[in-house]
Amino acid sequence: MSIQILPEEVASQIAAGEVVERPASVVKELIENALDAGADQITVLVREAGRRLIEVVDNGIGIPVEELEMAVHRHATSKLRQAADLFRVSTLGFRGEALASIGSVSHLTLTSRTRHQDLGGSIEVEGGEITGTAQLGIPPGTTVRVEHLFYNVPARLKFLKTDRTEKRHINKTVSRYGMANPGVRFKLYQDDELVFQTNGSGDLREAISAVYGVGHARQMVEVIYEDQNLRVNGFISPPGLTRSNRQEMLFFVNGRPVQDPALSKAITQAYHTLVMKGRYPFTVLFLELPPEKVDVNVHPTKAEVRFEEKSQVFQGVGRAVRRALLAHSPVPGVSNLRGVNLWGGPTPDHRQVQRGIDPAWSMLERAREETLVHQGEDDDQIPAPLNTPILRLIGQVAATYLIAEGPDGLYLIDQHAAHERVLFEKMLASRESPPSQALLESVVVDFSPASADLLTENLALLRGLGFDVEDFGPGSFVVRAVPALVGEASPEGLLHAAVEDLEADETPLENKVEEKIIARVCKRAAVKAGQVLTPQEQKQLLLDLEACQSPRTCPHGRPTMIHIPVEFLEKKFGRIV
Amino acid sequence: MKISVLQENLAHGLSIVSRAVSPRSTLPVLSNILVATDDGRLRLSATNLEMGITCWIGAKIEEEGSTTVPARTFSDLVSTIPPAKTDISLHEPTQTLNIKCGSLNTDIKCIDAQEFPPMPSPDLEAGIEINVTDFKEMIKQVVFAASHDEARPILTGVLVTVEDNILTLAAADGFRLSVRTAQLSSPAPAPVKAVIPARALSELARISNDGSEVITMALPPERGQVIFRTKDIELTSQLIEGTFPDYQQIIPKEYLTRTILSTESFLKSCKQAEIFAREGSLIAQVNIRPGPEENSPGEVEISGQSEETGSSQAIMDATIEGEDIIIAFNVRYLREVLDVIQTPNVALETSKPTSPGVIRPVGDDNFLHVIMPMHLGS
Ligand SMILES: Nc1ncnc2c1ncn2[C@@H]1O[C@H](COP(=O)(O)OP(=O)(O)O)[C@@H](O)[C@H]1O
Repeated sequence: MSIQILPEEVASQIAAGEVVERPASVVKELIENALDAGADQITVLVREAGRRLIEVVDNGIGIPVEELEMAVHRHATSKLRQAADLFRVSTLGFRGEALASIGSVSHLTLTSRTRHQDLGGSIEVEGGEITGTAQLGIPPGTTVRVEHLFYNVPARLKFLKTDRTEKRHINKTVSRYGMANPGVRFKLYQDDELVFQTNGSGDLREAISAVYGVGHARQMVEVIYEDQNLRVNGFISPPGLTRSNRQEMLFFVNGRPVQDPALSKAITQAYHTLVMKGRYPFTVLFLELPPEKVDVNVHPTKAEVRFEEKSQVFQGVGRAVRRALLAHSPVPGVSNLRGVNLWGGPTPDHRQVQRGIDPAWSMLERAREETLVHQGEDDDQIPAPLNTPILRLIGQVAATYLIAEGPDGLYLIDQHAAHERVLFEKMLASRESPPSQALLESVVVDFSPASADLLTENLALLRGLGFDVEDFGPGSFVVRAVPALVGEASPEGLLHAAVEDLEADETPLENKVEEKIIARVCKRAAVKAGQVLTPQEQKQLLLDLEACQSPRTCPHGRPTMIHIPVEFLEKKFGRIV
Repeated sequence: MKISVLQENLAHGLSIVSRAVSPRSTLPVLSNILVATDDGRLRLSATNLEMGITCWIGAKIEEEGSTTVPARTFSDLVSTIPPAKTDISLHEPTQTLNIKCGSLNTDIKCIDAQEFPPMPSPDLEAGIEINVTDFKEMIKQVVFAASHDEARPILTGVLVTVEDNILTLAAADGFRLSVRTAQLSSPAPAPVKAVIPARALSELARISNDGSEVITMALPPERGQVIFRTKDIELTSQLIEGTFPDYQQIIPKEYLTRTILSTESFLKSCKQAEIFAREGSLIAQVNIRPGPEENSPGEVEISGQSEETGSSQAIMDATIEGEDIIIAFNVRYLREVLDVIQTPNVALETSKPTSPGVIRPVGDDNFLHVIMPMHLGS
């Protein structure tokens, strides 16, 4: 395969865009190139979360010495000649700008030898300029060395998150490719420590066990499905094994990792009634369909796809998953289907957002959306408290609502919801750290490298919560005691839940603690609707509510107050139009 | 099929088998009860694929046959008819079951018995006769310690072993362990080691008669099933695959303090503490204080508290051998084990606040229970 400069026509058809967003995107591009080159051994070396160094070594076909220079040119690709080819893309990289883009924001060294040439070559690029070439005797294959990423783009550099987060992204990226390519031996070193490797045996379950641990891998249910439109292969978690987010539903379309909310939805629907609301299965699924039936050029970083026959694909995937679940052996599987609940009771979905038109509420919703968008993005994010303004009490209506005036209009307050909020925050503040319950036998729990990293950093925090947990070698942790507040959940489940919370940048198990307290608030007699309150009681309730951290909702997520702005009154009275 | 049965017998049989019906199954036939003539008796069977129950009742059989009847409809109906002779006949082509009793005349739509999962009759020759008077009691003493957490299927089961003539049941949920042994009158032909779902054993305890009815237990090779059989009842359950933890190594070999208490007052104190502790994490503190001299009686204080409700302390007299100790346990675990102890006195053996506690009925070596302690957060 020799490299050609893309014709202008083709170039313009390709959405321009930044390929390189963060160290993990460099890792992704370089791995894709190595896979395209037919490598079956790929080693990734990372230093200082990729700021200092990212090196990807492969044993693929290599680049002929005379083509090295062209490889680092923008729109140099050997994989695409004509615009029509864009619709039949089946190699992973095709946009011919990864190396050039990376080379323009780093110190890049490309070293390569093909099997047919005795000597290999090396080329150095610095901020997009070629600064040196050399001829070398090296083993066949390609090494791409990326140093000082973003040294000339301070804005990007500033945008990078903590080392912990960037490392986590890199670990995730490599482990995804590891699962997508079980026949390739991956190794990932972070600062000289081997944090992840697959054996390249070609067995997907083995690759999955490298990521999720042997225990989980063994329980995964195999999916084998084919219809006239597509083939689906891979593994899905049995209904008893779930996550609190959708992030672990991995899809590979024709070998390319993709993100597609509609696909996740198809899966979630197939599990409908099998997993509790708010819990999600995790999957490693490979979809294969004819290249002309998928458009992978939707997004510059190539994570999204467009299917020509959308509904057929989603139906097929749903059917594939459902069949696998049904065929899944009844014992102990059937028992898994029944009580899927790890936490001994349905989880009240207190985050549920009710749609309303009142402005107090819509403001809250906006604020919530903002925190959601930032979740997992920003490590130091503290959600802004949504305070109430100072309120002047006017009185009680229907023995259920309080009326008050604020600087910006009228407030109606639900006395029951408000009192629940007040009680909830009082209990939350006065809670003691939970006792820990020792285990009969210590349990070893396995984690993916990314999660293991996170866990290691937060051991002290988890111990404060009542876990007796200790690092037990790469990716494994030994648990001797668990926080007693969460009932009979399994230690594995509990530790996984805590790590998921950490991944979402939330306080571990805070949700569970809050749920418990909510249950107590409900039992404790809060002021009821229909209860006449004396003016003093009304005033006290307002004062207590003002002192709350999140006074605008009750602990179940319903609003405590409705705001009617002065403007609204003026409009209704025809003072303004 | 054309038969007549007594309503009482039918109602009794239905109440026994209907616990194995799966009411919301994707296979409609699993919501039904198999009704079949069988060697001069009427056989009722239900299964949820994990557990199946069969009960035979006396009936007058005029014409052989079988079908499957929707469980809910059938049971609800039978419970309303008077205790009298009930005539039942099946119209095969339409699978309609006609039931006549007094003024009642109903037709129930049924599903062909062919659709019902086959429940092969086991070879009971190789079975083990469990001729212990209190098998029901034995089950009750261990099942509560099994886990409800489906994430660890093996712990939702009870390990049943038979070696020579010793039958042992053991269950553990990760925090506590219950072990009960009994002697069989004759040695088993071959040793047995199987993990049986606690749910199936509880069910067996529920449906088997009190007293000394002989129960035969069979584990047909390669089937992954266990079958319990009495004269009129058969319960089949899938076994749980996997290795049960080696519980022997969990049982402490020694102790520093042995406290003997009245079972009844210990239980009462735990119930009192639980009223308060249930608001929180169910933690109760057990403060063991030996008497001032070698042989003078000591006392045990059990306390539970809650931020909102308040606190309780109960003090009991006790015979204490060894050092004083303060140790905390999940009070519900204490209550549950004390609930199944029959002897008037119970011994609590402890060593350190971080080491497991062992509870044994005084004067009965056939039962022991291990509870892991709790620690207050810092
Ligand atoms: N690891 C590698 N092994 C062999 N050839 C490579 C490797 N990396 C890049 N190349 C060659 O360099 C060309 C340009 O690479 P790149 O800029 O990443 O664009 P593309 O999107 O085509 O991968 C590729 O088409 C390929 O021929």
